[in-house]
Amino acid sequence: MNPNDITRSVLKWLIYVLLHIFVARHLVLFNYAFCFFYIGAILFLPVEVNLTTLLFIGFFTGVAIDSFDNTLGLHVVVTVLIAYLRPIIIQYQLGQKLTEGRIQISIRELGLAGFFSYTILLISIHHTVLFLVEAGSFALLPYTALKIICSIAFTTVALLLAQLLSR
Amino acid sequence: MLQLFEFVTRNRNFILFVLLEVLGFWLLVNNNNYWSVEYFNTANTLNAKSLEISNSIKEYTNLRIVNASLADENRRLNEALTTLQQQKPNNAPTGYQADSIFANRFKYVTIAKVIDNSTHKAENYITIDKGTTDGVKEGMGVVSSTGVVGKVKICNEHFSVITSILHVQFMVSTKLLRSGEIGTAKWENSINPSIIQLKDVSRYKNVMKGDTAVTSDQNAVFPPGIAVGRVKNFKVASDQAFFDIDLELATDFSKISYVYLVENKLQSQQQLLQESLINKRK
Repeated sequence: MNPNDITRSVLKWLIYVLLHIFVARHLVLFNYAFCFFYIGAILFLPVEVNLTTLLFIGFFTGVAIDSFDNTLGLHVVVTVLIAYLRPIIIQYQLGQKLTEGRIQISIRELGLAGFFSYTILLISIHHTVLFLVEAGSFALLPYTALKIICSIAFTTVALLLAQLLSR
Repeated sequence: MLQLFEFVTRNRNFILFVLLEVLGFWLLVNNNNYWSVEYFNTANTLNAKSLEISNSIKEYTNLRIVNASLADENRRLNEALTTLQQQKPNNAPTGYQADSIFANRFKYVTIAKVIDNSTHKAENYITIDKGTTDGVKEGMGVVSSTGVVGKVKICNEHFSVITSILHVQFMVSTKLLRSGEIGTAKWENSINPSIIQLKDVSRYKNVMKGDTAVTSDQNAVFPPGIAVGRVKNFKVASDQAFFDIDLELATDFSKISYVYLVENKLQSQQQLLQESLINKRK
């Protein structure tokens, strides 16, 4: 990774986080679907980033989001989790492509199917854990489940749009 | 010992992951912890500033709604204020008890937007976007947030035309607050849309510059106490019994945009009674 790549990655991270804080955070559809746009900041980091760095980036992202939501800890837990799971899922879902050489996680290089198989899995894990931790119990499970499903769809569409609009 | 070190280095990422997760859960569980209270919340300077900026941008998008709700709130408050004042006028003797129907006679019917306005003719009219469907009737009083505006002249389903106070034949019974004198405000010189004349105040009374003029109690159209203007200057011709007082209008008619429509529910009763007197005299 050359300095140019690093600046681009940092900028990308910043855009995802800022867009989440100022725009996506306020988007709620039908009281059920929430948009956690900042996942893109972790999901679309370059593959070369090692796990230790990734964990710290995840932690820092979580703190940044939490400090705007006044829920310190909530997003930290999930962002660290998906940061840890990310390499495993890349290995599992995109292992074949990895062997072919250096890849970038984008819709252009992975194609629609590859892109979805990677993002939807991580988004689902993220949302499931997030909403369950937030709910604190399984008491309102049907309600929480509906929220999770709707939010997964919303976030996926939002990230897809972001991917299509970015170069 | 060596094995332990080896284990730690081999699994360092997993250990880091667990540590960070434990830290996250710890922060989450005691949600009033020092860190979240002191630093990582929306009250810290950076966060608060950025939220403030984004909010100030967002504010513009709902100004219209805010305006409408504020105007509606004003309408309700004006109505409540008038009713309270009428129930217990502050210059009334202690025994006076206002009849509740009389005290409640003024109703702020609706708020309307001015869509056409003139100030430089001899007879000025204002057109508003509310009509009979919104409860507007001919003869209703019209006031703005700053003061008296006029009276409804004609209305159809969705629009009404208001005779502005800037109309040579329009008269408002007006009281000077400090001196307590009652006169008639009338736009006589019909040149300057910010000045109105006050007539019928005796030259032997005390008039002060800067005194506030409000609608008087002897008013069938307007609730008492609505601002008309301020005494700008006054003079008296040697052969006249009354002052020539110039009032600076409280309402800037060139900028007027929203008006309230006031209905006096007892107006027709009052007029009928007063007119019957004229008939009897004949």
